[in-house]
Amino acid sequence: MARIELLNLHKSFGAVQAVKNLTLNIEDCEFVVLVGPSGCGKTTTLRMIAGFEDPTSGEIRIDGRVVNDLEPRDRGLGMVFQSHALFPHKNVAQNIEFGLRMKKMPSEERVKRVREVAEMVRITHLLDKMPGQCSGGESQRVALARTLVTNPSTFLLDEPLSSLDAKLRRELRAECDRLHAELRRTFIYVTHDQEEAMTLADRIAVMRVGEVVQIGSPMEIYSNPVNQFVADFFGSPSMNLLPGEVVHENGIARFRSIRFELPLPEQFKAARPGAGTLGIRPEHVGVNLGSGGAIELPVRLVEPLGKETLLYFDAGADRTFVAVSAGLKMVDVKVGAPVALSFDPRRLYLFDTDGQRVNV
Amino acid sequence: MAMTKSQRRRLMKTIRYAVLTVWAIIAAFPIYWMVATSFKPDNQWFSWPPVYFPDPPTLDNYRNVWLGAQQYAVTQYAISSQKPLVSLWNSTVIATTSTFLSVLFGSILAYGVSRYRILSEARMFQLLMLRMIPPIVVVAPLSLYYSAIGLLDSRTGLIIVYFLTTLPYAVWMTKSFIDEVPREVEQAAEILGASRWRTVFEIVLPLIRSGLVATFLFILILTWSEYLLALILTKTQVTTLPIELSKYQGSTEGRVYGRQAALAVGITIPLMIVGLIIRKHLARGFSFGMVRR
Repeated sequence: MARIELLNLHKSFGAVQAVKNLTLNIEDCEFVVLVGPSGCGKTTTLRMIAGFEDPTSGEIRIDGRVVNDLEPRDRGLGMVFQSHALFPHKNVAQNIEFGLRMKKMPSEERVKRVREVAEMVRITHLLDKMPGQCSGGESQRVALARTLVTNPSTFLLDEPLSSLDAKLRRELRAECDRLHAELRRTFIYVTHDQEEAMTLADRIAVMRVGEVVQIGSPMEIYSNPVNQFVADFFGSPSMNLLPGEVVHENGIARFRSIRFELPLPEQFKAARPGAGTLGIRPEHVGVNLGSGGAIELPVRLVEPLGKETLLYFDAGADRTFVAVSAGLKMVDVKVGAPVALSFDPRRLYLFDTDGQRVNV
Repeated sequence: MAMTKSQRRRLMKTIRYAVLTVWAIIAAFPIYWMVATSFKPDNQWFSWPPVYFPDPPTLDNYRNVWLGAQQYAVTQYAISSQKPLVSLWNSTVIATTSTFLSVLFGSILAYGVSRYRILSEARMFQLLMLRMIPPIVVVAPLSLYYSAIGLLDSRTGLIIVYFLTTLPYAVWMTKSFIDEVPREVEQAAEILGASRWRTVFEIVLPLIRSGLVATFLFILILTWSEYLLALILTKTQVTTLPIELSKYQGSTEGRVYGRQAALAVGITIPLMIVGLIIRKHLARGFSFGMVRR
């Protein structure tokens, strides 16, 4: 059981405000991912929960009890570090056993527990090795085992997979998911990788310059971002963002940008005229050779990825405009050839000059 | 004819080794001369042309100096009433005790500096600046203090003064090793339930073991061969090896180079033995990188 509440948490390092007025309730057994670009305060938040940083103000509660003044070891938490932080002078078994020794568990019981946990994360063959002899993925499993063995109420994971290659990352991501399902414990996971956040989280808290900008399920965050930052942060390739302006003509709202102009769908009928940004995810852009779409642009680059093909266009924005076409249908399109693009009207996003979403 | 690349490389290598060999001979010659002289019979110490290889080699000098086997050319007056073996024992006790204290307290202080910033960078530098005061300028007041509190001419007195004068080195050296230990490793121990002291003794100190050993040897060399403070702060009761050795230079009855060399070799050997025992750590300690990041 562990319900974690963060109430009006502030943390300053000198003049720098790392975390500003953060309030977040994490339910028992929930998997919450704190995500955001580097420097957004997500690791600082995690370290405050762990007890390695003292909040400048605000409260941290675990199961209703204020823990601000408790030492890390008295909070009943387990933490996996970005660098794995194994003890280099102890072998894997001794590393895993360390927490049990600190709890003064009898020796036979310790050996049994170490073996159980090693089996759980599939590292029994490593028990006699030194950390220096383990690969990155193996080290991470050892670090997980070392945390698991003490049976903490909550797991804090600080970018645990960021030092691994893509394939291992996917593999260990699945492992984290499996452990969460098996153990039924609270997980708080910090990452800057939106894909990790999307696949692992029950709920995602998106952070930016010390503040939580949106909390919600992965699908909520993806399909209903509150602002341009969140919209842009999630999804790969990123959402297409086209600067332009909203104009009203004959009672119809239209969006006008450098390269094209199109009528806005019904839900933006009441949008205020003026500068704004139109957003659409690459997978929601229809592509057809020749004419017939909302707009027509020449292809700048074709990138076949196998299961899909990415098409790049110059739509007059800072970033190239991307569309995704399933399979290899568009693979033979010549650079410079005109392609008709159509936008799914239900999937269009409009942001005002402050980057806030213009709601329906 | 122009040289090929490999010819040029070979030539450069030859030149490099030639220069280094000449330099090595120049640098190592005094040491060789010391060792050779220690095995020479009396008539070869000053002989001309010089004798490079003792003929026949003899252990008389060692027997005379270390065992006091026979009355030799140095008077009881000139030499301390103590035998060099007693000085060896004094040096051993004084140097190892003060070095041990220095490394122990130095590393604990360094931990505080590294982790809690109990001293700012400026203060740390000032600490080292203390070492820049020439010892001779404080020796007179120090010997006044010492005679007032009865520490003059005692082992404890020298241990205290060596401990204090080498402490800044110990703090500086061990701090650089502690800085290399990632905070996260300590924090991992902490969140697993270890207290701060436990973390220091079970995680941090074992991790910088090689650094501690290197620091220990460095300071041991300083205290083992310290001369000036020992000269002023001791009289006849406590004599260390460097003082013992200097007495042969000051002898009024001619210079007994063979005996002096035998004593010098004896002073050098213990340090070399220590160095050999801990050489594995030394190589690591002086190029610290054992903590995997």
